[in-house]
Amino acid sequence: MSGTILETRALAVGYGGRAVVKGIDLRLEAGQILCLIGPNGAGKSTLLKTLMRRLPAVEGSIRLNGRELGAIPERELARTCAAVLTGRPAPELMRCGEIVALGRYPYTGRLGLLTAEDRAVAESCMDMTGTGALRDEDFTRLSDGQRQRVLLARALCQQPKLLLLDEPISFLDIRHKLDFLLLLRELADRQKLAVVLSLHELELAKKIPDRILCLKNGQVDREGRPDEIFTGDYIRRLFDVDERSYERVCGDAAPF
Amino acid sequence: MTNGQNRRYALCFALLTAGLLLLAALNLTTGSSRLSVSEVLAALGPGQSGSAAAGVVRQIRLPRLAAAALLGGALSVSGFLLQSFFANPIAGPFVLGVSSGAKLMVALCMIFCLSRGLAISSAGMIAAAFCGALLAMGFVLLASARLRGMGMLIVCGVMVGYICSAVTEIAVAFADDANIVNLHHWSQGSFSGIGWDDLAAAALTVAAALACSLLLAKPMDACRLGEGYARSMGVNLRRYRTALILTSSVLSACVTAFAGPVSFVGIAVPQLMKRLFKSAKPLLMIPACFLGGGVFCLFCDLLARILFAPTELSISSVTAVFGAPVVIRVLLSRRRGAEE
Repeated sequence: MSGTILETRALAVGYGGRAVVKGIDLRLEAGQILCLIGPNGAGKSTLLKTLMRRLPAVEGSIRLNGRELGAIPERELARTCAAVLTGRPAPELMRCGEIVALGRYPYTGRLGLLTAEDRAVAESCMDMTGTGALRDEDFTRLSDGQRQRVLLARALCQQPKLLLLDEPISFLDIRHKLDFLLLLRELADRQKLAVVLSLHELELAKKIPDRILCLKNGQVDREGRPDEIFTGDYIRRLFDVDERSYERVCGDAAPF
Repeated sequence: MTNGQNRRYALCFALLTAGLLLLAALNLTTGSSRLSVSEVLAALGPGQSGSAAAGVVRQIRLPRLAAAALLGGALSVSGFLLQSFFANPIAGPFVLGVSSGAKLMVALCMIFCLSRGLAISSAGMIAAAFCGALLAMGFVLLASARLRGMGMLIVCGVMVGYICSAVTEIAVAFADDANIVNLHHWSQGSFSGIGWDDLAAAALTVAAALACSLLLAKPMDACRLGEGYARSMGVNLRRYRTALILTSSVLSACVTAFAGPVSFVGIAVPQLMKRLFKSAKPLLMIPACFLGGGVFCLFCDLLARILFAPTELSISSVTAVFGAPVVIRVLLSRRRGAEE
């Protein structure tokens, strides 16, 4: 069941025809996790938005599951690609079960009524993310860690082949960061999901992803396996981190 | 959805229906001539068309209560749609100036037609009100693109409403016609004097708009998580937003064309229904708001008629007394939520 899910060629992404990042060549297989890293404003979110088709590509091509992204009908796109976005939605009077079931949107009919099958899928997505017990809880009363899991369950409910996550663990404490990343790894392995996520937590990017894409100064600075990326003082150069300032804050030498 | 929730929803709908029937019965029996339930039933039965009671029930009370229920429901659904659109719990056709815009256009049309001795059809009234509603809506939309925060949007809408009302007053003051009394009465808002022909036209329009809003329930549900998520699930936002604005404008235009501007129903009823059902799911809220709006307006119209009989209150002053506190409560609870 492996195969290329996402492929970009000479992709340039940006706003209003002006490129923020150029020359992105990606290839992501089913079951692989790609992690985007780079300084603030390097274009990680812009790239993710372009992959979601919320922004048009400035140049180059994106192929999703073997088809040109621009040519995929909305409903089919939503069945192939799902997202967990930045920001914290605060829907009024919405139970977690409702939010997860909303992921059935591209499968339900005109009125959005759920069939028994839709309910079963929603159930299994809550099981996979460990959110079954939160079914009847009001979403706005949850902790940040629980919220992200519910939003992940909602995305899984679209039964996508590709999952896009924009800084999914930024708000979480360290334990929930670890749990969330392990969950993503497990989903990629078991469900053969292709995952693209942006991260600021560099120390957590060493093991989980299969590939890392480093963005800086409007281009792809490096692309490769984590062990190819985390070499020497590359990360420090990528982020322009001064070793002394790291030591003054953290007390010991930078681990990257 | 668990069984407990479904039972709650069924119970709420039963409660609303019972309230509607009870208030309808009260509306039919009370008034300047008190009728017993059996007299009313007799008047509604066949072969009674000659009696005075039959005249009162069939030509005055029944159309009035039908208008209050139908148009109150339409107004509430319109308010619910606008609240979803602006993600703003105190948006509504009245505070956003949509009702006043519709009122202005209808008043201008009526003055124009009356001065030429022309009669204006029900469909014509709805069309004029729709144009006015869209004009005011367009203005608020333009402003909302530049404004941040729900308070500013409402202030802007209220200002649009004041401007439209002022122009209406001026136009009414300068129109010299015997019918001006009627016009003045209408511009204050009232469910009286709506005939069966008008009602039929209103019912058709509202039914069509209600069907449209039910079809919008699915994308509305997706938009509760924000537009980013809605798009990622395949909602065509432009088409959805256009359909929503048009539907809500048709609903509030239809109300204004026949009953004039009615305040606060559009905000208060959706808020009350959300609390009653403990849910804000659009597919549930649209029929709930329609029923609840009917109940609310029947109740307010009953008070307007009997409280200071034989003097009749304008419907808006009664709906404001019950509706405005709901708005204040919403604002206070938002404030508390933000401080947590």
